[in-house]
Amino acid sequence: MSKDYDVCVVGSGAGAGPIISELSKQGKSVLVLEKGPWLTEEDFTKDEMACCRRSTYTPKLEDEQHVLEEETMNGGWESEPTSESGWDFWNGNVVGGSSNFMSGYFYRIKPEDFRLLSEFGPIKGANVVDWPISYDDMEPYFTKVETAVGISGKIIPHKHQEPRSTKDFPYPPTSEHPIVERIDKACDELNITSLPTPRAILSRPANGRNSCEYSGYCGSYGCHSGAKGSARAALLDDAVATGNCEIRANSKVYKLKSDNKGQVVEALYYDMDDKPQSVSAKTFVVACHAIETSRLLLSSTGPKHPNGLGNNYSQLGKNLVFSAGGSGTGEFHYSEMDKLAASAMKTRGPFVNRGVQDWYFFDDKDFGGKTKGGVIDFLLRHPNPISKAMSTKWNDEDKLNWGKNLKRDLKTVFTESQDLRFEVFNDWLPTDNCFVNLDNSVKDKWGSAVAKVRLGYHEHDLKVGEFLSAKAENILKQMGAKNIRSSVSGSPPANLVAGGCRFGNDINTSVLDADCKVHDVDNLYVTDGSFMPTGGSVPYTWTIYANSFRVADILKSRV
Amino acid sequence: MTTKLINRRQFIQLIAVASTSWPAINLAKTNSSNQTLGRQADLVYKDLSDPWLSIAEVQEHLFPADDVSPGAKDISALRFLRNMLEAPDSDTEEKEFIIKGVGWLNDLSIKNNKRKFIKLNTDEKEKVLRQIEGSRAGSRWLSLMMTYLLEALLSDPVYGGNKDQKGWQWLEHIPGFPTPTTDQVYFKLGQHANGTTRRRTKS
Repeated sequence: MSKDYDVCVVGSGAGAGPIISELSKQGKSVLVLEKGPWLTEEDFTKDEMACCRRSTYTPKLEDEQHVLEEETMNGGWESEPTSESGWDFWNGNVVGGSSNFMSGYFYRIKPEDFRLLSEFGPIKGANVVDWPISYDDMEPYFTKVETAVGISGKIIPHKHQEPRSTKDFPYPPTSEHPIVERIDKACDELNITSLPTPRAILSRPANGRNSCEYSGYCGSYGCHSGAKGSARAALLDDAVATGNCEIRANSKVYKLKSDNKGQVVEALYYDMDDKPQSVSAKTFVVACHAIETSRLLLSSTGPKHPNGLGNNYSQLGKNLVFSAGGSGTGEFHYSEMDKLAASAMKTRGPFVNRGVQDWYFFDDKDFGGKTKGGVIDFLLRHPNPISKAMSTKWNDEDKLNWGKNLKRDLKTVFTESQDLRFEVFNDWLPTDNCFVNLDNSVKDKWGSAVAKVRLGYHEHDLKVGEFLSAKAENILKQMGAKNIRSSVSGSPPANLVAGGCRFGNDINTSVLDADCKVHDVDNLYVTDGSFMPTGGSVPYTWTIYANSFRVADILKSRV
Repeated sequence: MTTKLINRRQFIQLIAVASTSWPAINLAKTNSSNQTLGRQADLVYKDLSDPWLSIAEVQEHLFPADDVSPGAKDISALRFLRNMLEAPDSDTEEKEFIIKGVGWLNDLSIKNNKRKFIKLNTDEKEKVLRQIEGSRAGSRWLSLMMTYLLEALLSDPVYGGNKDQKGWQWLEHIPGFPTPTTDQVYFKLGQHANGTTRRRTKS
């Protein structure tokens, strides 16, 4: 029986883009089903209401939501639908996915991250495993992302520098904010290596895309210039130009139908008018966000998969991970600078682009010796004015702030200091208390069960996060910052999520094989962050892109 | 920083227990304009009747003008609020709650001072509003007022607040570029994208 397409891809973000691009360039017919609308550079403006105050790029929670389970004081679990709590767990449901709205801090994970169990040994209560592939298997694809997606940066040798097959990045670093000099000086004085942070942002025009326009509003915003390396700007437009790729926006896949042999035969979806549709393909690739991928497979029961596609060994949805760590702030008061320095400090546009990896691994007796640490990144407080103003809405006595006091506080927050923030990224250890399931009592607007996510974390994550936070606070202190504070907690960042379909060689402990094919389905692959058994101590996007290029190479000879 | 969130379930309960004896409000009569977001700030304050008359007075009390900074009317906070409440995706329960709150405010004002809120002096207004804040529903109502005020102060003028960029200028805020046109406001982006022109597919 003939199929409608060679490949049907569910989702269009960082995990889907390389598959779509590589296979359509090879001449395969590729259909992309994306739940969200197809917005372009023309649609993206610096509008805080659109980006951050209303559900513009994500569903309204009344229509589509999650149910989140958190641990109670007495060790039980309490669940609450996000339409009630307001805790929005969506990232970016548009063509190109949340890569449209990322800040683009791009880090490779390191060789040791592929073998965390062998390198650092087991941790009680954590399901740490080695990956079924090595850094060497992934290196060519990390390199490929640097040119295909576009990464700007500069290599400075340091003790935890991962091996590279090329000397440096294809694009020089983006312009830097004057505060960088202060960070470098303080790190120098403390004998810490301050490193330029690679960014998935073009510092010069390339491949039909413009260079960064340095508007100063990057993270959370769609990119107007096309410089940000979203899957849409970097990969999908070219894929469509081959004539082999069709992107159906506003198409929500709700089930993958499998036959008596256990193979996927059709994707069932609702079109833009909410009418049910179906499409057949030889091969199916799912990459629609870690939580939603697990949800779709759990919902896709069939004759050989009574508990969901690829769930015959009860691994589906398990070992979900986030990025652990926290963040902090220090203030630099203009009143303590001369006019020139204050004016430089107020600069809006260029990036901070500084991070520290000195403690990616460290040896400390409080941790029992050799330990996996993480990364510290510096950034300016987000310039979003409404969000900044909202920080003055309540006073210290938990009363609403209004009138003269409010106006005084607003003036202070906006005009008296530049705030430098840091973010700490460390491993969120996979545990039995962090996973995706279905909640059959809460449905989305189409009547499908929503994902229920248990959000347990490991105490070790906080310990490492606090260790790194203290180091970052020291740097702020050395810089002369005032009012330094930080926060490390087990509250997960919804925009940094992976796992749920981890890959491995053993069908009893993983969902995917080393090629990211579902173990007991011949024609189903998962290529978003779901495949990751552990996350590394960095944002995931570069690894997700690289792995998708790796799987694309495998698929080229199989489809 | 306290966020004082209440969840949606509690919010709906609050609305349900609120008094229903307040004057009926005919939105259609109050010169609503859901077509134009733009520059009608002067008109929006003209010939006001309740609930908008009281709301404008509350906004000015919460965000008063002084010699060096704009007040609620200067930034056209009422225009912003009305645009938001009439936007296609707006929360009808929230709108109902805000309007009901005006009745509540005036009931309390009359009970305390035998006058509606707009007739009170500054001290009396402060007292009534702080009293309202003491209740859960009242705190929620004022919190919404404050959120809309801060959004009116600092959102792009295309939404009807931040008139002539007065909010941005006062706080020395440098906006990003490009800024949205009236066709790019958040509630039109989705509609636009759903249109056939954006389905750039080969079939």
